[in-house]
Amino acid sequence: MTVSVQTLWSTVRRRRLGRSTAQLAETARPTIIPVPEIAPNDPLVAYLQSVAAAVDIEDLELDSPALRQMRDNGVQMVVPLVSQGELIGLLCLGPRLSQQEYSADDRTLLNNLAAQATPAVRVAQLVRQQEAEAQERERIEHELQVARLIQHTLLPKTLPELSGWQLAAYYQPAREVGGDFYDFIELSDNRLGIVVGDVTDKGVPAALVMATTRSLMRAAGQQLDSPGAVLERVNEALYPDIPENMFVTCLYAVLDTATGQLRYANAGHDLPYRRHGTEAIELRATGMPLGLLPGMAYEEKETVLEPGDSLLLYSDGLVEAHNQDGDMFGFPRTRELIGGFVDTAGTLIDFLLTELSQFTGSGWEQEDDITLVTISCSAAHRSAWLQSESEGQVSDRDPLAAFTVSSVPGNERIVMDRVAEAAAGLDLPETTLEQLKTAVAEATMNAMEHGNHYQEDMPVAVEVLHAADDLIVRITDQGEPYIPENPEIPDLDAKLAGLQSPRGWGLFLIQNMVDEMNVTNDDSGHTIELIVHLKGETHGSPV
Amino acid sequence: MPQPQLATNVRKVTDDIAVLDIEGELTAFADKTLTDAYTLATDDGARVIILNFDNLQYMNSSGIGLLVTLLVRVNRTKQRLLTCGLSDHYKTIFELTRLNEAIGTYETEADAIQAAQS
Repeated sequence: MTVSVQTLWSTVRRRRLGRSTAQLAETARPTIIPVPEIAPNDPLVAYLQSVAAAVDIEDLELDSPALRQMRDNGVQMVVPLVSQGELIGLLCLGPRLSQQEYSADDRTLLNNLAAQATPAVRVAQLVRQQEAEAQERERIEHELQVARLIQHTLLPKTLPELSGWQLAAYYQPAREVGGDFYDFIELSDNRLGIVVGDVTDKGVPAALVMATTRSLMRAAGQQLDSPGAVLERVNEALYPDIPENMFVTCLYAVLDTATGQLRYANAGHDLPYRRHGTEAIELRATGMPLGLLPGMAYEEKETVLEPGDSLLLYSDGLVEAHNQDGDMFGFPRTRELIGGFVDTAGTLIDFLLTELSQFTGSGWEQEDDITLVTISCSAAHRSAWLQSESEGQVSDRDPLAAFTVSSVPGNERIVMDRVAEAAAGLDLPETTLEQLKTAVAEATMNAMEHGNHYQEDMPVAVEVLHAADDLIVRITDQGEPYIPENPEIPDLDAKLAGLQSPRGWGLFLIQNMVDEMNVTNDDSGHTIELIVHLKGETHGSPV
Repeated sequence: MPQPQLATNVRKVTDDIAVLDIEGELTAFADKTLTDAYTLATDDGARVIILNFDNLQYMNSSGIGLLVTLLVRVNRTKQRLLTCGLSDHYKTIFELTRLNEAIGTYETEADAIQAAQS
């Protein structure tokens, strides 16, 4: 415990024996002199607290800097003001104006005075302290408002709209606004720069550094293609100006929206996750936070976001949230949740926030800002790209629909209906539409059963595309190829004779219900492509 | 998840002719319902089973598999299996799978009953 000692006043008249009356009159005027601050660990404090009565300092033998200074200043008598065992002030007196010694009565009078003054002084001190605290609170609240305003002004108001990509962002400041920020930089050649950062410290200083970093990132991002070079330049610019003990963690990625290629570099920020199927892959690149040291280099890495993939960028407010038992939300949990997320049930951000609120329980006060940014690659987009890549030209395919369903028996009905809905504008003859629906249902059942083995969390991705003369439906599962090279052709006589299973009609139906059926495999899964020719030779009844 | 539904209603037309109304979806989920209806009709002495597809909403390859299984049983017990009320789309599928050669298909229930009595 620290002891605060306040010296109230002191009246000192220097002892000048043998001087003239005039001199006396001149020098006998009360003089107020400065009395030194007394350090809390000065032995004088402990001593005065223990005696709690008027003390002649000539008699004291203490190794006390304050005592020495008082003597030098001509103090002769001190009367401690002690409230609840704590020294809260001192009455310091010089020699009596009469030049007589302090009498026993004087001491009694002084002690009585001290006893009465102490509570009044204590009350005055408490009032002053409360006023100071209230002012400080008001100042902090005002500062927080300014910080919130800065942050609110600089975060993106809208998300970029990109064909084939879904962007989502969530930002929730803690009560004491932290230094989280995110930004999107629209670049040339269909590229998008994505920034997520966190400034150490809170309040206005953090908000100002955040604003600076954001501007520097925007400028460097426009000028330089390489994410590593961008971070390097921002670090060089930030380092001389950033207040001491502050730095910025920052992840910068550049997405090629045409190909899904993602280049990224990381200045000490939490590693982003790429969600691929049921996996959450950490995207690791090393680099020091911005503004710590000059001359830093930043490792640059690359990945590709495939159809159905999502990228999650976030701040430590999520992973470092604690529950009432003091457990941390943590990276392993985050990673597991991302892998287990099924996107038929809302967005990844909503899902993570629901999990977080279940983890922390009610009445949780958010410890730090929480920022979540996701970028998802839709299946249709990817297909168009694959097509243009394989043909070496820009695709003229027009995506009509893209969606996923979980591998649950019966879900083929959903796919059937949604494909029919997507194709509604093409005015297909009733017969053709019915046959397409059957083919779609059969292909979906195969994908759910033979591809994904009816594992609920493994989605089947469906795309409906309209090319010039074709309607194309692509149905992709996550499994290994299951269609044999020479599938058995079902034969009713053989089945009735027990030579073939009564089942096994699916592939046969698909092949006969559409004009073309193609099977492709790539690292994103196994795809059955169904094609219906819209013009020329129509697909008739295959009798 | 949608719950595939099949309801069957067994109607005795004559002593040896029973009509099974197939209402809803003929998929793998329909196995027990279809088998139970067939057993009920057979236990009641039906020699001709007419499947009425007037209210069929959806049939897939698994449903076709069930019909093949049913046909095997019917052949074994020397019963006859007829159908009526198939939509054009499912008629096409019957032709494609040649089920129409093994199962008599008729437009209306009356046509089927008449054929059963002949």
